[in-house]
Amino acid sequence: MTLELSGLSTAYAGFDFGPVDLAVDDEVLAVLGPSGSGKTTLLSLIAGLTTPESGSIRLGRRELVGRPLDDRGVGMVFQEGALFPHMTARENVAYAADTDEVVEELAALLELDGVLDRRPPALSGGEGQRVALARTLAADPEVLLLDEPLSSLDAPTRRRLRTELHDLFDSLSIPVLYVTHDQRTATALGDRLAIVRDGSVEQIGPPVAVLDRPASRFVARFTGTENRFDATVVDRSEDGAWLRCGGLHVRTAVSTVPDTGTVCIHPSRVEVGANTTDDATTATGTVSRWLNEGTAYRLEIAVDTVTLTATVRPPTFERLEVAVGDELRVAIPPDAVHVIPEAE
Amino acid sequence: MATETDETRAVSSTPGADWLSVSLALGGVLLLYYLGPLVSLLLSVSPGTVLGRLAQPGVVDAAITSLLSASISTVLATVFGVPLAYWLARTEGALATALLAIVVLPLVVPPTVGGIVLLSVFGPGSAIGDAAIAVGIPLSGSLAGVVLAQTFVASPFVVVTAKAAFEGVDERLEHASRSLGKSRLTTAHRVTLPLAGPGILAGVTLAFARAIGEFGATTMVSYFPRTLPVEIWTSFRAVGLDSAYPVAILLLVIAGGALLVLNTVASNPWR
Repeated sequence: MTLELSGLSTAYAGFDFGPVDLAVDDEVLAVLGPSGSGKTTLLSLIAGLTTPESGSIRLGRRELVGRPLDDRGVGMVFQEGALFPHMTARENVAYAADTDEVVEELAALLELDGVLDRRPPALSGGEGQRVALARTLAADPEVLLLDEPLSSLDAPTRRRLRTELHDLFDSLSIPVLYVTHDQRTATALGDRLAIVRDGSVEQIGPPVAVLDRPASRFVARFTGTENRFDATVVDRSEDGAWLRCGGLHVRTAVSTVPDTGTVCIHPSRVEVGANTTDDATTATGTVSRWLNEGTAYRLEIAVDTVTLTATVRPPTFERLEVAVGDELRVAIPPDAVHVIPEAE
Repeated sequence: MATETDETRAVSSTPGADWLSVSLALGGVLLLYYLGPLVSLLLSVSPGTVLGRLAQPGVVDAAITSLLSASISTVLATVFGVPLAYWLARTEGALATALLAIVVLPLVVPPTVGGIVLLSVFGPGSAIGDAAIAVGIPLSGSLAGVVLAQTFVASPFVVVTAKAAFEGVDERLEHASRSLGKSRLTTAHRVTLPLAGPGILAGVTLAFARAIGEFGATTMVSYFPRTLPVEIWTSFRAVGLDSAYPVAILLLVIAGGALLVLNTVASNPWR
C-alpha cells in the first residue's frame, strides 16, 4: 500500500511545518535531519498525535486526517521505547496482540525469549527497543513509524540491531518511515533517504544519489561532504566541464553544470597516492593534518589556496607513510565532482 | 541506618561542622513537638475509660455520622476531582493555571469562612437552600450539610494529589496505547489508572482524613447531626477536657489508619 502525504502542514509551538508532499510505497524511507528540523513532527502528523492545519494523509484509499489514533493502522516505535512500566515484556507485547501465538512468533522473531518475564526497568536499551518493536508489530500495523529507536544505544548494540532491522523491514513489505539524525543508520536502512530541514523535505532519493549528488549546500554539509568550494566554469566540452576552485582545477563527468556554484566532493572519493587515471583531475598538495578515525584516516591536504579533505583506508595510509608536511598526489575522478548552483 | 550516617559524614565538607546533624537536631525539636503531646494524650486515659466513653450513644451516633459523611464526601471528591485532575495534568496555559488556583482556594480559605460561603448558597433563605427544604432534603443542619462542608474542604486534596500522579504518567505511554489500536477507555483502564493509581489513592486517603477531621465549616453548616470533631467540642464545652479525650483518641486511630495507607499501598511502586 502507498502512504501519500499531500500539502501537509501544521504550525506547532512557533514552528512551521510543511507543506510536505511525500509518497512512500512498501519501502523504507529514512528521514534524516538535524534536531528541530521537523522529523518527529512528520511522524506525529502521520500517527495522529498532531493535527495538521491543512493537507491530507492517504493510506491506500483511506484518508487518515480526522481519524483518531487508534483507528489509523499506523504503528509507532517511540524514542526510548515507551514501554508500559507496570507490565512485563510479555504483557507489553500481549497488550497489542490478538492471540498468544502472535506473542510467541514475535518473541522468536526478535529473540526475546530470555527477557519476556522482565519488567522494562530490568531490560537493557537494546532489549527494550526489541520489545517495543515487537509490541508495535503485534498490532499488525499497515504503516510503521520509528522515531530514533537506536539513538540511545551503545555502538555495538546499535550496529547489531541495525542489521536485524534491515532484515526485518525487508520481510514486512509495508511503508516504513525511519526517523534518525544518524547518517549511517539512515543509509544502512533506507531504500530512500529524505533530508528534512526547517519543516520541509530538502531532498529525497536513493541514499547513494543523495550522498553523491546533494541538491543543496545544506544537504552536502549535513551528509558529510566536507569538500565544498566556490567554483567557476572555465571550459566546457561535450563530455564534461572544467571548473576552477581557487587554485584547484576539477573536471565533471557531465557538461550541464551551472556557470558558477559550489563544487562538492565527498572525502571518500578523493584518491590519495593512487595510480591516477587519464580521466582524473590530478593535483599536488601538502598534508597539513591527519586524524585516525578508527575505520579510516582523515587527511587535510592543502592544494594551493584550498584545503581538500580525503579519507583513506588504514592500509593505504600505512603504505604511503603519510606525515604532516609531505607532498601528495591526489586525484579527483570526474564522476565524484558534483556542482550545486549555489555559492558556498 | 548506619550506612546512612556514614554517607552523610562522607558528604559533609567542613570538618567539625556536620550541617546535616544540625539540621536534624533542629527538626527533631519539631518532631518532638508533634509526637510528645500525642503520646501524652494516649497515656492520659486508660483503655477502659476510652471504651466506656465510646460505647455511649452520642459517641456512637457521631462516629456513624462521621464515617458515613466522610465516605460520601470522599466518593464525591473522587468522582468529580479525578477527571479534573487529569484535565489539569494534560493541559497547559493560563486557563489551567487559573483553574488550579480555584481548586486550591478551599485549602487557603479558613474553614469557617468556607462555612459562611456555603450557608449563603445552600442555607435557609437562599434559593437553592429553600428549594432543597421544599423537596425534603435540607442542605444545612443535616447529613447533606455535613457532606457539603466536608467536600468543600477535602476535595482539593484529591485534585492536587491526583494531578501530580497523572503528571507522573508519561503521555507517550498513552499515545503508544492508542497507536496500538486501543480506545481512550481501554488506555485509561489499563495504562493511565494503574500507573497513577497509587498516587490517586494517596489523594483519596488525604481527602478522607481531612473530611473526617473537618470542624470549622461543618459547625457552621450543620451542627447537627454531630460528627466526631463536633462531639469533641461539645464534650469539652459541657464537661471538660477529660471527657473529650476518648473521642480524640478514636480520631487519632483513624488518622493512624490513613497514615498506614499512605505509606503502604498508596505509594507508587514503579518509581
